Amino acid sequence: MDFAAFLVTQCLNALSQAALLFFLGVGLTLIFGIMRIVNFAHGAFFMLGAYVGYSSVAIAGNFWAALVLSPLLVGGFGIAFELGVLRLLYRRDHSAFLMVTFGLTLIMGEAIRLIWGVNALEVRAPPALSGIVFILDEPFPLYRLFLAAAGIVVAVAIWQFLERTRLGLLIRATSQNAEMVHALGTDVRLVRSAVFGIGCGLAGIGGVLAAPLVTASLAMAPTAVIDTFVIVIIGGMGSFLGSALGALLVAFVQVFGTYYFPDLALALMYLVMVMVLVIRPGGLLGKEA
Amino acid sequence: MATSVTRRAAMRASLVAVAAPAVLRHARGEAPIKIGMPLALTGPAAEIGEQMRHGAEFWAKTVNAKGGLLGRPIELHVEDTTGDPATCVRKAQLVVERDGCHLLFGMVLSSEALAVVPKLAEWNAIFVSSDNGDGRLTGSSFVPNFFRANISGPMETRVISLWLRRGEMKNFYAIGMDYAWGHNSIDVFKDEVAKAKKNFVGAVFSPIGTKDFSTYITKIRQAGADACFIVMQGADNNAFLSQAREYRLADKVQLVTSIVDLNSIHAVGDAALGLAGSTRYVFTIDNLANKAFVEAWRKEYGTEPDVFEGEQWQACQILQAGIEKAQSTDTDKLRAALETAAVDSIKGKAAIRACDHQAVQGGYMVKVVKKEGFKTPIPEIIAAYPGDEITPACRQMTFES
Amino acid sequence: MNFSRGLAAAACVLALAPAALPPYAMTLLTEALILGLFAMSLDLMVGYTRLLSFGHAAAYGLGAYTCGNLLLHTGMPLLFAVPLAALFSGIVAIGVAWVCTLASGVSFSMLTLAFAQLFYAVAFKWTTVTGASDGLAGIPRSPGPFGIAIFAGKAGFYYLVLACLLGSLLFCRMLVHSPFGEVLRGIRENEAKTLSLGYNTRRYKIAVVAIAFALGGLAGALYAPFAGFANTELLFWLFSGQVLIMVIVGGAGTLVGPIIGAAFFMLVSNLLSSWTDSWALFFGLIFIGFVLFAPQGIWGLLSGTGRAEGRERVRWRFLKSTS
Repeated sequence: MDFAAFLVTQCLNALSQAALLFFLGVGLTLIFGIMRIVNFAHGAFFMLGAYVGYSSVAIAGNFWAALVLSPLLVGGFGIAFELGVLRLLYRRDHSAFLMVTFGLTLIMGEAIRLIWGVNALEVRAPPALSGIVFILDEPFPLYRLFLAAAGIVVAVAIWQFLERTRLGLLIRATSQNAEMVHALGTDVRLVRSAVFGIGCGLAGIGGVLAAPLVTASLAMAPTAVIDTFVIVIIGGMGSFLGSALGALLVAFVQVFGTYYFPDLALALMYLVMVMVLVIRPGGLLGKEA
Repeated sequence: MATSVTRRAAMRASLVAVAAPAVLRHARGEAPIKIGMPLALTGPAAEIGEQMRHGAEFWAKTVNAKGGLLGRPIELHVEDTTGDPATCVRKAQLVVERDGCHLLFGMVLSSEALAVVPKLAEWNAIFVSSDNGDGRLTGSSFVPNFFRANISGPMETRVISLWLRRGEMKNFYAIGMDYAWGHNSIDVFKDEVAKAKKNFVGAVFSPIGTKDFSTYITKIRQAGADACFIVMQGADNNAFLSQAREYRLADKVQLVTSIVDLNSIHAVGDAALGLAGSTRYVFTIDNLANKAFVEAWRKEYGTEPDVFEGEQWQACQILQAGIEKAQSTDTDKLRAALETAAVDSIKGKAAIRACDHQAVQGGYMVKVVKKEGFKTPIPEIIAAYPGDEITPACRQMTFES
Repeated sequence: MNFSRGLAAAACVLALAPAALPPYAMTLLTEALILGLFAMSLDLMVGYTRLLSFGHAAAYGLGAYTCGNLLLHTGMPLLFAVPLAALFSGIVAIGVAWVCTLASGVSFSMLTLAFAQLFYAVAFKWTTVTGASDGLAGIPRSPGPFGIAIFAGKAGFYYLVLACLLGSLLFCRMLVHSPFGEVLRGIRENEAKTLSLGYNTRRYKIAVVAIAFALGGLAGALYAPFAGFANTELLFWLFSGQVLIMVIVGGAGTLVGPIIGAAFFMLVSNLLSSWTDSWALFFGLIFIGFVLFAPQGIWGLLSGTGRAEGRERVRWRFLKSTS
């Protein structure tokens, strides 16, 4: 394998991983921006996405159906939780959210075990995407190209949504100053419900997209939630662009770092995080905390 | 607290009673044989814990239906460790101190077993392992109250190396999960490759919980080996195999894995096709005991028994042989009896040896193929090796020749 | 005073426990007290200084590994190894805190998380010291000095743990009622104001982190010989999350509350998981129930004192959010 081929394929790998991390991170950061809560259960929503994806494929026989159904169902569940529980807690401090989302993580993990069992489940990439393409004579999975593209498309879509639509405007305004938005006559509670639903739905998409690579399994949630924290913190809590930047940085460091220093694979992400936070305590694009 | 505990104990006992009402009537008045089983039933290792539980429950039910062991019913005390060694030690201590179990099964992870074995003497308890692979349990960490009924990590690696010796392949690479079992197995493999006068071109270890294997797959491709030895299990194994298929890795390199199990095959589907590997147990083993076992299992659970279900069944057979021989469950008598326990069971002959308490048994090499009558691919036996060829010398982890 | 009378009563009851409880209950109780000490140490940071640490497992792991190594390899008596390990944990904390206190708020929490995870990664790789993924097994309760062997037994070790817990509780109580504690509370309520009054708040924060780590390290140091082993899970972020939950469930800023919270967390999870495989479901529901119906934590429920403090905190938050 010549160096050019190596470089190109590894960059594409990193992009595809960045896309998966971005789906997780952007949801968490949007939720944090609006609600000032750290959603401990984000990894559980990601895992739920994968399992709902599995069932959608099994019932509808189609990966694309899963890609639509899963975020809807997972997002819907998120909204229900926001309405039923979180809404009662906005006057309380961080610790209350930490506890309920920790509790929710336990409940979801167990519910998934009861519904789908303990064995890992296969979710296949759609036939159209399971092929390979040759890049500079190196085989590269089509599915990973699709992941990278999906990441870019969704990132641009969210960006446009935040910039151009009324709801997007409200979201940005609420994250700046919720009282002001409320005073101007908008029901901030609706914005919060919507954002929590969107955030969870994005985690759900991430789950479906990750499933062909890692299978749907109970091991998904714990590792996902910590990765998500890291990229959101590196990017800056509450910053949309930050989550994209954090995802890219972590993915590239992981892919190239693991290649050149395999012994450091476990520590790389945290080293980057410490370095970023020491230089910029609020994260790359965050406000000074 | 006390009331809930007695209630719980009663509940467990009644569970076994439901399974075999005739037995308890028969064996009324006889004290049950209590076996503690700390298992990972939730969390990432739950797949294996669930299998071990099935294996032991099926055995208890079978034995109880026949009037028990020494006329005493078997009572299993299962506890969830979540796969965490700290919890495992606590739960093991609970079943010993609260439920009075001086026989232990279970402990899914080697790290759990390694944390528990130093305590066995203090608890006056015997632990019969059915899945802990770490070579040190019968080596540097050996304790007299530990028995390994299953094939160890070095043994499964030996099976692979014996198979590879016959083949044409010259250059080998290895990838393992970055923990004890991975390092231990790859060390043995490296040693074996050297003895066969072939080339070991390198190894890489991935942290537990790795999700993206693209970098590791690139490394394997670049190594230019004929075959890659894989030491992975659970979610990491599934992720690796799925992604190896994505990159068509098998077109270039023969993948040889240290453990082939049905769960992974179900999880990754066709990505497992063509995979060669050692297995600790496979339902296609051709002998009468196994045929009867598979038949009975299908009737009970509607599926084929998987690796750890078969291994647990064999461990139960060995414990049963020991208890029958000792005519007692007294720790000292049972230890002495187990040291020479031998069974002719689903994997053929398996005999504990006194020097390190490892069960000497045959090993199987399988290849994953598509077969008529099965929805998913199944492992087909391509080679079998007798116990004396694959078991290391006493308390050793590597092989002499 | 009410507190000292209550404490004396609790101490008496706990001191009599070995005579009344069966062995398994003693095992659980001993571990509950160790975790209680651990949770209480975090309360100094969370409850009194508003330093929300997501990486407190680092303290526990440092203590456990240090003590484990001392006991395994130096033959040092238990009574020396435990405090030495606690001290070591506290010293390491000074370096960690120096970096972490560069940030504040959520960033502080995340830096502590990052450090704990770095320690975790190091422990995973530094095989000679930590035993990597297997951890250290067979850690003895070495007797001595002068042949004192009572702590090696079940009841003896329990009394050692109890003494450490009560001693630490009294120390912490003294600390939070001292001028030093006043400054900590000042930092909790309004750091900028405290700074403007001429206190070097960062130095105070580093000091409190070091003390919390030393006490958390003490808990870890007790755990290693209690369980006989130490492994990487003791450093994992999940454990940091759990201890934070213990503090909140018990009632932050009360010292006693987190001890009860830890005992509650451990005993309930144990009882539930013995009762059903689906214990996590009920455990999760309990947490959500607590947040909804008992916001002041267990200690607040029990004593009513937490409520007053809770009101005070709410008022402070209100002030902050409007400023």
